[in-house]
This record gives sequence, C-alpha cells and structure tokens, in this order.
Amino acid sequence: MGETETADGTGGTGAIGSAGDAGRAEGPVPVPAPSHRDASLRRLAVRGGRALAGLAIGALTALAGLLAAVPAGLALLTVLALPGARRAVLRPLTAVGARVARAELRRLETFCGIVPPAGYSPADALRYTLYRIPLGLLGGMVLALMATGLFWFLVGLLGWFVILVDYPLEAIGTGLLGAFLLVLTAQGVYGTVLLEAGLVRRVLGPGPHAALRRRIDELATSRSEVVDAVDEERRRIERDLHDGVQQQLVALGILLGRARRSTDPERAGRLLRQAQEENRRALAELREVAWRVHPAVLDEAGLSVALESVAERSPLPVDLGYDDGGRPPARRAATVLYFVVSEAVTNVVKHADATRIRVRVHRAGSGNGNDGGGGGTFGLLVEDDGRGGADPAGGGLTGLARRVAALDGRFAVHSPPGGPTTITAELPCA
Amino acid sequence: MRIVVAEDSTLLREGLVRLLAEEGHEVVAAVGDGEALLAAVEAGAPDVVVADVRMPPTHTDEGLRAALEIRRRRPEVGVLVLSQYVERRYANELLSGESRGVGYLLKDRVVEIDEFLDALDRVGRGRAAFDPEVVRRLMARSTRTDPLARLTAREREVLAEMAQGHANRAIAERLYVSQSAVEKHINAIFDKLELTRTAGYSRRVMAVLRYLGT
Repeated sequence: MGETETADGTGGTGAIGSAGDAGRAEGPVPVPAPSHRDASLRRLAVRGGRALAGLAIGALTALAGLLAAVPAGLALLTVLALPGARRAVLRPLTAVGARVARAELRRLETFCGIVPPAGYSPADALRYTLYRIPLGLLGGMVLALMATGLFWFLVGLLGWFVILVDYPLEAIGTGLLGAFLLVLTAQGVYGTVLLEAGLVRRVLGPGPHAALRRRIDELATSRSEVVDAVDEERRRIERDLHDGVQQQLVALGILLGRARRSTDPERAGRLLRQAQEENRRALAELREVAWRVHPAVLDEAGLSVALESVAERSPLPVDLGYDDGGRPPARRAATVLYFVVSEAVTNVVKHADATRIRVRVHRAGSGNGNDGGGGGTFGLLVEDDGRGGADPAGGGLTGLARRVAALDGRFAVHSPPGGPTTITAELPCA
Repeated sequence: MRIVVAEDSTLLREGLVRLLAEEGHEVVAAVGDGEALLAAVEAGAPDVVVADVRMPPTHTDEGLRAALEIRRRRPEVGVLVLSQYVERRYANELLSGESRGVGYLLKDRVVEIDEFLDALDRVGRGRAAFDPEVVRRLMARSTRTDPLARLTAREREVLAEMAQGHANRAIAERLYVSQSAVEKHINAIFDKLELTRTAGYSRRVMAVLRYLGT
C-alpha cells in the first residue's frame, strides 16, 4: 500500500522509496480505483486484519526475544569488565540483532505497511531488537484484551438471544462491556502500530540531519538528471529538424533547381508542381516537429484536450479516462503528465505490438503519503496489451522517470515478458 | 561520370539521382547506409561517391566512416561528403592522408545546383572541393599565435581558395591576378608556414591542412 504514517515535519522521512532513483521500478504506485468509497472500506478491513496478524506475530517474537535476552544479558554482565571478552560476546549478539531487526522490519512492512528505513548501523539494530520487546508484549496484551472483549460480547449475545438467562441485565451489561473493550482494543491495535512505526523511526531512521542530507542528495540527483533529460530532448529535436525538415527543404531546392535548368517548359511545370507538393509536406513536417517540441494546445486548452489529441493522433485505439475533479493540475505537472502519456503512447506504438492502449489520468485525492503538503496528487496509468519486456532503463523510459522525479513524483514500469506493460506515475501537484 | 549516391532520406536520394541523371551522369547505385555504400563501391566501380555524413544505424558519422574507408581501399574513387553543418573534425579527417579527390560540402549547398555540380566535377577529376562556409568558418578563428596570422590578407585569400581545392589558374581567375602572382603568393605561404620541399607529401596539401587547423 505504501502509506506511511509519517507526521514529522521533515517531509516524509524514509517514506518515499527515494524519488531520485529514476528508472528503477519501485513497485507499483497505487492508483486508486474510481469507485472510491467501498474500495477504501475494503482496504481498511484488509489493513485491520493485517495489523492484527502483525501484532500477533510481533508478540510471539517479543516473547522469544525476552527469553533470549535474559541469557544474553547475563553473558554480557559477566564479561563487562574485560574489553576483549566483551567484544567477543557483543559481535555475535550484534549479528543476531541485525538479523532479528531485519525480520521484524519485514514483518512490519508486510503486515503494517511501515516502510523500512535504509542504512542503519548494526548497533542500532541491536538496540532496536531490545526496545521492541516491551512493545511486542504490549501488542500481545492488546490482543489478549481484544479476545476477552470478544468473548464477553459473544456471551452477552448468547445470553440475550439464545439461552434464556435469569439475569437479562447482566447479559446486556456483559455484552456492552465486551463491545466497549473491542472498540478500545481496536484503538489499541492502531496505536501500537503507530508506536512500532515511531520506534523504527526513532531508533533506526535517519536523524533530521541525515534526512536533510538524503533529501539534498535526492535533489542534486534529480536536478542533474533533469538536465540530462532536457539535453536528450534537445538532441531529439535537432535530429527531427535535420533528418526531417532539412532533408525536405533540400529536396525541394533540388526540384526547383531542376525546374529552372529544364529546357522543356512542360517538364519544368511538372517539376514545379512537385515542388509545391513537397513544400506542403515540409510545412506539415515542421508542424509535427513543433508539436513534439511543445504542444501549444496544452497552454491554450489544457491537459484534457491535449491528451485527447494524443489519443486522436495515435494509430492504435486509445481508451482515455481523464478526471481532475474540476481542478486542472498546475502547469508544471500538466506538462509532465502530458509528456509521460504522449511518450508512453509513442513507445507502445513503436515497440509493444499492442492492439489497444488504456490511459487513465486522475486526481488522486490529497496527501497520498507523498510530501506534497496537501496539494493533492495526480495518478497516471498507461497500459497496453502488448508483448511486454519493456526496459525501464531504456532511453525513453528513463527520460520520463527523470521528469517525474524532478517534481518529486513516483514512476514505475511493470512489464513482464509477454505483457501487459503498465506504466504508473504519481505526481504531487501543488 | 559514374556515381554512387549514399543518402538515407529516400526523398533526397531520389532527387539527387534524378538531378544527376538529367545532367548526363550515370548513377550506378543509390543506397541508404554505410554498409551498402561500401558494397556498391566494390561492385559498381564509380568515379565519384556522394555520401551523407549521417546515416543509419546511429545517425552520427557513418557516412564519413564509409568515405574514409573508401579512400583507404580505393584512392582512385573521388569522395564528396555532404554534412548537415560545418564540422572541422570531418574536414580534417577527410584531408589527412591522400587529398586527391575529396570534397566536403554543406548539405544545403546542393540547392545551389551549379556549385554542387562544379564541386562534384572537381572531386571526380581528383581535385578537392571545400564548402565556402567551411572555409569562412576556419578563416574566422585564426589567432596571433597561429602561423596563419603571419600571412598577408592577399596570401590568406589565396590559401582560402587553395583550401577550396582550386588550382593556380582558377585562383588567378577568381582573384583577378596573374598566375605568376598566385605562384609567388603560394611560395610565400609555404615559407611562412615553414613547409620545406620534402619528398612524400604535397606542400599544397600540408598548407591546406595547417589552414584547416590540424
């Protein structure tokens, strides 16, 4: 799901699978289904179930950790005064700690949707494995209470509906108490997951300094990549001009020259007519090149019209769905969205052997775990039924990834051999 | 003359072929890439090759590579290279080694049909033909430290004409001076560029090379 419960002001530390890693697929970016309401309810239920399973496992590992920590602690106590021996005990401990921490992080990622931090030290991992023992036990307690609540609730239900008891009031009371406990422990589950995330961040996550440094690295990378992408585009424009328009103009000049040198007036007339035709073609080519450089319609009529024109120009049928919730994206984001769709469609036509293309562009609510600062995001999806096997590291796709990364967006290509190929992107659009 | 045309744009290739045919040349082959060009030269024994610098697959300098290869294998075949824009490197590479029958024209120059045919003719007769634009560009970058800077304006003009591949008589006609004056200028140029008579290379070519910045 990729949600992160980051609430710190440093901009989603460790939340975003490093936007600077252009071209590296980072798993599919969630593109919410159009039917919002029931989908999100279902998601909530799934997430709840997962969190419960995660806490249950966490409680068991905490118990195991507690049992292991006691002898380990004793061993450490006995050699505390001897530095050499202390190291000899600490080293295997640290190794085990790192492994345990990795397993815990995997659990949290799988069940609780907590994105694991990268680049923590082994010592921190050991500390984390210790600190999380009480947390795991807390989770276990919450679960036990929940089970109790459920039991009482069922007792109350049974007492009321099934077995005729002599104490109806007690039955109701018990049922209500059970229900109350259930509500309370549900909160407890949520809170424990938050605590787990907080602990991971506190102990293993980068400090504010490191977070800033990482952000700067990210920005520097994406900046230089944007420059590369722009250069690449300029090269393409130069090629378009020289290999297209220039050739046509030279050919036109040759036709005119031949007409001038011709002694036979009828032939000269024929050559001139050809030249005029050639002139028309050169103009059409020039229009095409200018369009590829920058579609003027994007500024004049907005993204939806520009995307429609992409669909119209495509030789393959394009099923286009566009929904900006009545608020078109900011111009920068619109330009990038346009180019991603346009290039992706061109790529499909050129390489994919597809019969149809599906394009979806829509506003994806606001603040979907991205640090756009409440500006909302746009989700994008381009899907074809072609043969797949697209290379995310290929020239065209890296260019797109870089453009998206430059706006702090996420970009992913999923293209197994045999297809279908799916390109997803998510752009914050403040 | 027997000519092979190598140009990847079908449109332009057709145009060139028609034009050359109308001018009474025999186009023995018209191809679209460097590989095919080499094969056509082997098979067709042309007098001149007209080749575009940029051709598939990479669209960088395949045409030039093929042209240099032809010069290596068959020095008797004249090579006229058409380029999208002036690249001193191309001029240098074409001129290094044997400079008989090479030409380097801007593609746009083809539109000046008389000049194009004239250049083709010169290359076919084993002389050189350089685009006035190439020459103008190279003129513009002479500096104080450059031995070329020691040339007088007149000598520089003569050298520029030489670089375009004109013979002494043509230079005399173009500059409205006598042929002996041209010869005097050329000797002065050789002296100033410190080109002594040595067997094995043409001082004329060396002067042009020096001029083109190698």
